[in-house]
Amino acid sequence: MKHPFWNRWVQRLWRVVGAVNIRIKIMGIVLGLVVLMGVTVTLQVRANLIRTLDQLLEEQSVSIGRDVAARSTDLILINNLYGLHQLLEDTRTNNPNVRYAFITDAQNHILVHTFGDGFPAELLQANATDSGDHHRTAILQTDEGQIWDTAVSIFEGRAGTARIGVSDASLRVMLDALTGQIMLTTVLAAIIGITAAAALTWVLTRPILQLVGAAQAVERGDFRPRIARWANDEIGELTDAFNAMVGALARAQDERAERDLLRIQYVKGVISAQEDERRRIARELHDSTSQTLTSLVIGLRQLSEIDNPAETRQRAEELRAIAAQTLGDVHGLALQLRPSVLDDLGLPAAIQRHVADCRRRHQLNIDLAITGFDDERLSPEVETALYRITQEALTNIVRHAHAQTASIFIERSNGTVRTVIEDDGIGFDPAQSEHLDGHLGLYGIRERAELLGGKLTIESERTRGTSLYIEIPVGGGSHDYNPNSTGG
Amino acid sequence: MRYWGCVLLIGLLVACSSSPPPSDVIHLSELHPLPVRLVSDVVPLRVSVAAVVSPQGTLESYQPLLDYLSHQLDRPVELVQRQTYTETNTLIEENAVDIAFVCTSAYIEGHDRFGMELLAAPQVNGAASYQSLLIVPASSSAHNMADLAGLVFAFTDPISFSGRVYPTYLVQQLGSTPEDFFARTFFTYNHDNAIRAVANGIADGAAVDSLVYDFAVQRDPALATQVRVIHRSPAFGIPPVVINPNARPQLKAMLQELLLNMAVDPEGQAALAMLGVEEFVLLDDDTYDSARAIIQTVETVSP
Repeated sequence: MKHPFWNRWVQRLWRVVGAVNIRIKIMGIVLGLVVLMGVTVTLQVRANLIRTLDQLLEEQSVSIGRDVAARSTDLILINNLYGLHQLLEDTRTNNPNVRYAFITDAQNHILVHTFGDGFPAELLQANATDSGDHHRTAILQTDEGQIWDTAVSIFEGRAGTARIGVSDASLRVMLDALTGQIMLTTVLAAIIGITAAAALTWVLTRPILQLVGAAQAVERGDFRPRIARWANDEIGELTDAFNAMVGALARAQDERAERDLLRIQYVKGVISAQEDERRRIARELHDSTSQTLTSLVIGLRQLSEIDNPAETRQRAEELRAIAAQTLGDVHGLALQLRPSVLDDLGLPAAIQRHVADCRRRHQLNIDLAITGFDDERLSPEVETALYRITQEALTNIVRHAHAQTASIFIERSNGTVRTVIEDDGIGFDPAQSEHLDGHLGLYGIRERAELLGGKLTIESERTRGTSLYIEIPVGGGSHDYNPNSTGG
Repeated sequence: MRYWGCVLLIGLLVACSSSPPPSDVIHLSELHPLPVRLVSDVVPLRVSVAAVVSPQGTLESYQPLLDYLSHQLDRPVELVQRQTYTETNTLIEENAVDIAFVCTSAYIEGHDRFGMELLAAPQVNGAASYQSLLIVPASSSAHNMADLAGLVFAFTDPISFSGRVYPTYLVQQLGSTPEDFFARTFFTYNHDNAIRAVANGIADGAAVDSLVYDFAVQRDPALATQVRVIHRSPAFGIPPVVINPNARPQLKAMLQELLLNMAVDPEGQAALAMLGVEEFVLLDDDTYDSARAIIQTVETVSP
């Protein structure tokens, strides 16, 4: 049941409160609490004191009235007006709260009073004892504030009545002084509270402001700032988390820079390899294929000029041999460009052939185990990637590892192909990247794996060999490749 | 909801605004002269009672008598009390009161000095006489005045016969003066206070009017356990009712007749009972000669 009126007010309030910075907020809370406490205590103490003092004044009024009545009885009966006057003056002197006192005779005529010259007009009739009552207290409103006026019968009224007026003026002054004191204490407490709050907010907001500054630096690309942990609280944890985050960002930035560099070199390498390959093919075509085709063209021209059928047949035979050789050269060239065995026989056979080639050419012991493939084919991209990864890894081993033995284990299960390639070579420190050549190869492996949603893990240590773990998801096993369906 | 807020705000404003000042404020600083008391055209009969007992006791005891007089005379009666016997005698002398109940020695002093006249005298226990009683605290070991030497003694009034003159006489008989005989003396100004002073141990001894003592013990029997009578004087003329020698004879006759006939009037009997008096009787001045002789003896020794 939210009402739009209140919502609007809450929003307005939050617009103001929310815009204030956190220091002001905390100081506002402290100040508000201190003031609230101070005001509450002041009001409470004042109310209680007023109640108590009122009661006290009434009791005092009654007790003084009774005392005066008791002591004035004989003085009235023996008509000792001076003694009565002295009694009232003494009463006033000894009780500063007594504003006035007077005594009337049984006929309600004033005998003595403490007002000096004259008597307040309305006072005489303002209070009186009821018949039978010993005394009666009334609260009179006067121009000097409240007066607790007690009338006490003297000698059962036969000698008259004593009237005592007790004023709250001096107690009010005391009460005001006390209130002032409490308020002063509140102000002092507020000052101390604000000072403490200022220190507290400085403590609290300093790391926050530092975090803001550091975050802005990170935004500009400066990953250097680290913030000292200020306290073991949530902000300390935030600081630690921030420092860890900046560290991670810095590392990620370094890795990205490194990988960007590798990518550039890889692309350069790929381009230059492409160019080399083109040059080689061009040279091959020019040196070999184009020479033989030229000689074929010449031979065919000469053949047209020969009349002798036997010689023609012989020459034709020679030309066919040349054409066959040329065909063989072109075939070999094509084979070098892309091993058709991968397309024709599948990944396991292609790898086995390549491994066998490596064993023969580099005198390297290579253990090979391939499981889980059966007759199911993987997609061409995955097969090519795995083939090239194996090829690249073996090339690295041959070139950099100085290994005696290598092992390759490829397993397909649960929709994943796991490849482990190990050697007993010299190993390297994965954290260092001086071996740019090998790293470029590894970068290629990683790129190929990650392109297919897989990942590469490298474990290596100097003199302890190297292990590569490659995992590539291939989608269940249902993702089978049927070479006939491509129409290739 | 906006309107409720407005209502709330107005309510708060009304609640916070100060309540209107009460109309019946008393101005303590505005002083007016007190009205001059009008002299009543009806002149009251002014009766004075010497301070034999406390002013309150006097008022309580004499109120029925005053009421009776007022009723019989059909005029208001005013009781005038003073602290000392001397003041009461002065009231009579100056005709400031019409009649007075005075002490024996006060009568002798007034009679001898300005001719104070006897009007009537109360009769108690069949006799118009009384005694001075020497009392000590119940725990005291004293048996006579001699045992009180070096102690604190309470006198009633400076001119009281039973409370001052007679004990002074006793001390003089022992060959001393009160100033030398007692460690300290003080005046209580009435017999009630003298009895209380002894009962409370403030004084080691006092001499009091036997009529007052008997009346006090009758009213408060516990008193008898607190004080002890160690000496009774011979009987002296009882404290009388007196009148100014220059009072109108008609008034004197009327008042005398009224007092003497009280015993035969039921209303008068009730008033007499309150005073512990059987009736008022006529007495001659020579009834007081025995007391007068002692006063003269005392004054000769210490004028």
